[in-house]
Amino acid sequence: MAASSEFITLLNQHQKILYKVCNLYMDQHADREDLFQEITLQAWKAYANFRGDAKFSTWLYRVALNTAITFFRKEKRKPDIYTTDSLPDQPMDQPDPIEEQLKIMYAAIGQLSKIDKALVMLYLEDYNYQEIGEMMGITANNVAVKMNRIKTKLKEETKNQVANQ
Amino acid sequence: MDLDELKYQLNYRLATDHADRSATDIASLLSKKTNSLIGKLKKSLWIEIGFCVLIMLLFLLIGFSSPYQSLQIYFSVFAVVALLFLIILVYLLRRTSQISSNIQMPVKTNLKTIVSIIEEFMKRYFQFTMALIPICFIFSFLLGYNEPRQIPELDKIVLPIFSARWQVLLFAFLYMGLLTVGVYYFTKWYLRKLYGNYIEQLKQCIRELGDEETAI
Repeated sequence: MAASSEFITLLNQHQKILYKVCNLYMDQHADREDLFQEITLQAWKAYANFRGDAKFSTWLYRVALNTAITFFRKEKRKPDIYTTDSLPDQPMDQPDPIEEQLKIMYAAIGQLSKIDKALVMLYLEDYNYQEIGEMMGITANNVAVKMNRIKTKLKEETKNQVANQ
Repeated sequence: MDLDELKYQLNYRLATDHADRSATDIASLLSKKTNSLIGKLKKSLWIEIGFCVLIMLLFLLIGFSSPYQSLQIYFSVFAVVALLFLIILVYLLRRTSQISSNIQMPVKTNLKTIVSIIEEFMKRYFQFTMALIPICFIFSFLLGYNEPRQIPELDKIVLPIFSARWQVLLFAFLYMGLLTVGVYYFTKWYLRKLYGNYIEQLKQCIRELGDEETAI
């Protein structure tokens, strides 16, 4: 009982990590809800093995990414089509000048593979290549190569999206 | 447009969600059922374990209560076979349960573990299904031929259809051959339909995580 309340408190404090993973891996609200539930359940099942050697946030990232990558939707509601409107809405008092750019970048990230999305996710979170490599199970050099390739791909994809608008 | 230019804004925006969950909302999620394929695999293993125990008890009951020696041996042997299958199922269940602790491992390790467990499940399932066919037929033949008592129920079925022993044997061999081929292809198709696509997706992820250092 103490473990569950401790877990709930920790997860409540770090739930933004889950939102990020869900928003990056799923473009539809219902799918994001399903994935959020699945990550919460998997994290709870694995919590007994969390020894505190790593930060809870790092541990939760691993669980969340492992769950998202292996998440399997048997009944697909409709194919994932990341559009510029799939980015979660942000209530704003005044128009944001980079809003359009963010939406285009989000749509471009949506075209990446599950593994590339995981790398982008950790890169956005400011983990260094060594830390990303440890989480993904690959070398820091390999991360660097992949990140360069992803950045180039995103640059081209956003250029195409802008051209098509 | 560069990823680095938008890094911080994008990271902030991805953290936003329409439904900000309370601790109570999160607590209610803990009692929900998992939708993962591994969860379904575990559930299916539990059902098969239950079914296997039932079959084993039923076969033991028939083995001990049948008046025919051939049926006593046949069902007793298959009760032992069911026990062997039960051991395999329990072993697979234990391996599948390891995934819960693997979920915090590096992504590549976790993917490899899941693939190896599902592949082992498919392999054992296939081997066991195929092994059952010859065991079943050999025992049927041996015991049927050596049964000291007449089985009137069987005679009622066989005698009106077949007039000579060679006809019975020919039918039995044809039936055995067709059933073996049918079960072979059906089991392969069934396992591939259930897990093939998923395994292929996971293997693709593992391939993507392959070493690219040489590309520098």
